[in-house]
Amino acid sequence: MGLRQEVFHLAAGGGERLCIWRAPEHGALRGVVVHVPAFAEEMNKSRPMVALAARRLAASGFGVLEIDLLGCGDSTGDFADATFDAWIDDIVAAVRWARELGDASIWLWGARAGALLAAAATHRLAEAASVLLWQPVLAGRVMLSQFLRLKLAADVLAGDGERAGTRQLREELARGSAVDIAGYRLTPVLAAGIEAAALAFAPTVRRVVWLEVSAGAQPALGPAALTAVAALRDAGTPVLAAALGGPGFWQTVEIEMCPALVDATVAALMESPHDGVSRDTVLR
Amino acid sequence: MDTRAETLAILDEVLGLKGRAARFVDATPLLGAVPELDSMAVVSVLTAFEDRFGFEIDDDEIDGATFATVGSLVAFVRGKRGD
Repeated sequence: MGLRQEVFHLAAGGGERLCIWRAPEHGALRGVVVHVPAFAEEMNKSRPMVALAARRLAASGFGVLEIDLLGCGDSTGDFADATFDAWIDDIVAAVRWARELGDASIWLWGARAGALLAAAATHRLAEAASVLLWQPVLAGRVMLSQFLRLKLAADVLAGDGERAGTRQLREELARGSAVDIAGYRLTPVLAAGIEAAALAFAPTVRRVVWLEVSAGAQPALGPAALTAVAALRDAGTPVLAAALGGPGFWQTVEIEMCPALVDATVAALMESPHDGVSRDTVLR
Repeated sequence: MDTRAETLAILDEVLGLKGRAARFVDATPLLGAVPELDSMAVVSVLTAFEDRFGFEIDDDEIDGATFATVGSLVAFVRGKRGD
């Protein structure tokens, strides 16, 4: 099937966001997928995988929209101008744009910390969406600690005496000072938004597809993820959860690809979206 | 997978040991003995623990002694999990 690919700027938040739209050349859309990107360097490292999956989904009949959020990638604004709320606004604007194209069901596809943004966005949407998650971050607070820790890698093993810690960085942020981490200017307001973010979806969410990647011989969701999936199911949300073998492409030093994740993504989205059945599927 | 096996699996994955960790025993020395385990790798291992097990690690808990041997590291994770 031929694909259409359009690069355009979406007006949002007083500025413009670079978007890429991929869709089949002909025929009705099977669904519309709005990608919600990962945070900082994880976004950069994930780009090839996201592009590959977007092309494969489009080839399978989905319209897929990628958006560079405020201050990220090639969109307007500096990273230092970004706030968690502004990023949610961007996602809502992206969904609104996609909505104009017809009645196809909406998927929010959150990668890593994008899952937190997607979860927040589900509360702002007029329609019930389905959610696709790649290796979701479970709590913004923990991810923020991990991000702050990057600055302190060399100090981490220092034994006694004074050493800089994530607590000190949090105190600087609380005093109103931005901190520079790995080339990103993290402002107090953005840090606060991330800190408060949780993987809590609107009750209207139709279903969740939760996909993770691990390098071991027997890929499996970790204990924390399993607990989160169980909680979603207990709350009545159908969840398809699966783990695929492959590299942690969002954090590897060299760009790596995980074809199994792309295959699983396409397979999961091709299934009926309204069966209401929770099951774990081994997707090869 | 039990805590010990999960911990070794994470170590193997994060450090790229390609299965070497499966042969580690409690007495196996880590910090200073495994060349892949530098300060950046320690941060990555801690991150992987947090993501996988769901507990949070405070600055005060980060100590070279924790990474001295496999035994000390597994004991640390067990303590955080309440095993």
